[in-house]
Amino acid sequence: MNQVLTTPPAVGAPRPWAFPAAVSTTTSVGTPVHVFDRPGQYVATVRVTIAMPLIAEPRELEGVATIMSRTLDEGTELRSANDFAAALERHGAAYGVDVSSDALHVEISVPVSHLAPAVQLLAEAITRPAFTKADVGRHVTIRLGEINQERANAGYRAREAFAGNLFDPATRRSRPTAGTPDTIRPLSNVQVAEFYRDNIGPGRAQILFAGDASGVDVAGIIDEAFGSWTSAAGPAVETPEPLYIPGNRVVLVDRPGSVQSQLLIGCAGPDRRDPAWGAAAVANHVVGGTITSRVDTVLREEKGYTYGTRTSFAAPRKGGTFSLGGAVRTEVTGAAISDALRILREARNGLTEQEVQEAKDSLIRTAPLRYEQADSVAQQVGSNIANGVPIDFADTYLTQIAATTADEATEAYRRYVGTDGLLVVVVGEAKDVRPQLTTLGSDVLGKLIELG
Amino acid sequence: MPLTYPIAEQTLDNGLRVVVSSDRAVPIVAVNLWYDVGSRHEPAGLTGFAHLFEHLMFQGSRNVASGQHFSLLETAGASLNASTFFDRTNYFESLPSGGLDLALWLEADRMGYLLDAVNQENLDNQRDVVKEEKRQSYDNRPYGDSYERLVKLAFPEGHPYAHMTIGSMADLDAASVEDVHAFFRAYYGPNNAVLTIVGDVSEEDAFDAAKRYFGHLPAIPQPPEAPDGTIGPLTEVLRDDVVSDVPSDLITMMFRLPVDGTPELDAAGLALDILAAGQSGRLNRRLVRDEQIAQSVSGGALPLIGGVSFGTLTGIASDGIDLQKVEDALVEEIEKLAEGGITEDELATVQAQAERDWLEQLATCAGRADEISHHALLFGDPNRINTRIDQVRAITVEQVQAAAAKWIRAGGRVQVSYRRTETGEEQA
Repeated sequence: MNQVLTTPPAVGAPRPWAFPAAVSTTTSVGTPVHVFDRPGQYVATVRVTIAMPLIAEPRELEGVATIMSRTLDEGTELRSANDFAAALERHGAAYGVDVSSDALHVEISVPVSHLAPAVQLLAEAITRPAFTKADVGRHVTIRLGEINQERANAGYRAREAFAGNLFDPATRRSRPTAGTPDTIRPLSNVQVAEFYRDNIGPGRAQILFAGDASGVDVAGIIDEAFGSWTSAAGPAVETPEPLYIPGNRVVLVDRPGSVQSQLLIGCAGPDRRDPAWGAAAVANHVVGGTITSRVDTVLREEKGYTYGTRTSFAAPRKGGTFSLGGAVRTEVTGAAISDALRILREARNGLTEQEVQEAKDSLIRTAPLRYEQADSVAQQVGSNIANGVPIDFADTYLTQIAATTADEATEAYRRYVGTDGLLVVVVGEAKDVRPQLTTLGSDVLGKLIELG
Repeated sequence: MPLTYPIAEQTLDNGLRVVVSSDRAVPIVAVNLWYDVGSRHEPAGLTGFAHLFEHLMFQGSRNVASGQHFSLLETAGASLNASTFFDRTNYFESLPSGGLDLALWLEADRMGYLLDAVNQENLDNQRDVVKEEKRQSYDNRPYGDSYERLVKLAFPEGHPYAHMTIGSMADLDAASVEDVHAFFRAYYGPNNAVLTIVGDVSEEDAFDAAKRYFGHLPAIPQPPEAPDGTIGPLTEVLRDDVVSDVPSDLITMMFRLPVDGTPELDAAGLALDILAAGQSGRLNRRLVRDEQIAQSVSGGALPLIGGVSFGTLTGIASDGIDLQKVEDALVEEIEKLAEGGITEDELATVQAQAERDWLEQLATCAGRADEISHHALLFGDPNRINTRIDQVRAITVEQVQAAAAKWIRAGGRVQVSYRRTETGEEQA
């Protein structure tokens, strides 16, 4: 029998990889169509990405974009909500919508064998929605119930408080994407239809297909469904740069009965227009992107304070954020925040060559895994379009990462994290957490803001 | 029409079952190990042990330092994790194919020599991490304890499915290093596992690599069988009514279902889908769309191998609607389904949805490897991944009707309900 190997075997060089290429055409009315042929992917995704900046919503009706998006499939000019769902699901299709600060994504996943009828139904929802009073009213009620669920969710509360305290109130992103009770309640089908009319049309859309296209005229099927789409919607307005609130401060959100404190710590970050976007991702990976990162090595593996935390740089079209998120035991909340802030600040002093090399290897080599499934290709390309970068931006990102030096990773990190202060959000049992924050002191945390 | 994913298998001399599915279209390979140990195997006093190992297995082994398992694989470009379930535990990674040897070496080192690295210090640390996991996943979220409450009602005390995988914190606290070592010795060995390799490697190279890294590991004594959980449908209604600070009133009903791997379970699963799946399911149409007494409904079957499975139906009441109305409507729809009237169209719809789900599950090397391990370990036949859709498609309206009439009945259910406290309503 073989000798037992006591050291790790060598890893062979990875095969070269590039983001899948598209065949791009347009529909008869000029909507771009990008077809990603992915052999062996028998479930295809068809995703329609429509430029829809949330700043187009009237301030007093925020959430109208979300309600509009959710009611596209709730009845069309041709069939009722129940009949539409039955038709789509009979083809084995799943339908979903996603609203971000810059775009609406509507997509179906469907076995390629049922592509044509499912794409017809997708087009029917997007181009011929009915927006009946009853269906819109029902979704307003559902959204109000959903807000109750969100308010009971510690992670959601933390994200809401983070946005509300990181962005100036003049910035749309300081408030929830899907609106608040006072902006949702007044909505009726009239405003929903009006918002649709002004914002949804073929000139704002791009259509993506990812899946096994062998023997299927994908562009023809899409043109058949979307080729006569007309609309009065003009071009999307340009979203202004976000305004951030600087400075160290801690926001304590009382959530009585909590057995853990949900933390979200962060600040402004880059977006994809910044050539250091890739370098920032490398730095993030070192500091808090994985279980072996600097933060979790201490908070999880040494101290057992948490099931796990993660950091990330995230960004829509304009203006990004950096954040560290996770849940820690109530009794050690102060200690965990103190450790986290120390690690985040110390990382400004420099990331090592070895850390940076390992992070680069990991980020570059995981790329083929991230885009193995058809749906993940469509998701990535849809978000590239929403973010205003080329559809093959994944290749640019990987090139940026490959070229990043340890100094550049440190520099990208230092430009943002801790430069203009850090916002700390804690959602938990305020009476137990407050004294721990007081002990840490305002030198470390900045001023304390309490929210009920 | 069966699918055509290639399947090759060999059993090593030490009993390790190795299954390979070559796919050269992608530059990656997935490694997936299913160990035949889940929470159903845990004797009284040792609940949560299978899951505890899901943590300890990343703390190092004879030739691997603590944290090195993650760092070596991440640097090689891997995505990796592990999961614990009632019936099994699994460990898996996907990575560029040049890292296959590394992945197999790491898996073999912890299969053979984990205990060299399991000591009081990392037991204490990972016990703390598991407690935080329980707080995060169960205790700090509304309705987080619903399944714990339901399985306790649905199965008699001591039944293999009467406790959740996270286990009892008291049992974990009482665990000594010796207890933990003994549990590992009993269940973790080549003859109690399936190793699946899927992706960019030839069958020959994959089997050679499996032999190279696992071939020297000794077999373990035949592990103790899990207790037989065979039990028929529920015959009464048991309730657990909770009043707490939840955002909305919610009810979940649970039914016992037939054991996995049978047409009866497939039929029962499709019956629950007719009620609860998608936007066109009966419950969504009636409770959410037409009567608007519920904000949402959901449900489905959870297939299990130990003599019985279970399934659930959940409804969240609309604001201002008495939860009793939701319960009454669920009961009516359950009985209506049991009494007849399932249409061919309804069945074809849930079968089409099941087909898409299955194809999506197999769309990645990792997903395919997981299902191959699953079908090899629990049913002894990895080829079932290619015939699974045909099995589901072969189920008839009559079979669905019969399964619903026997297993999914208003008079044979357990349920947990959550209602808001007065103060909770004031706060909202």
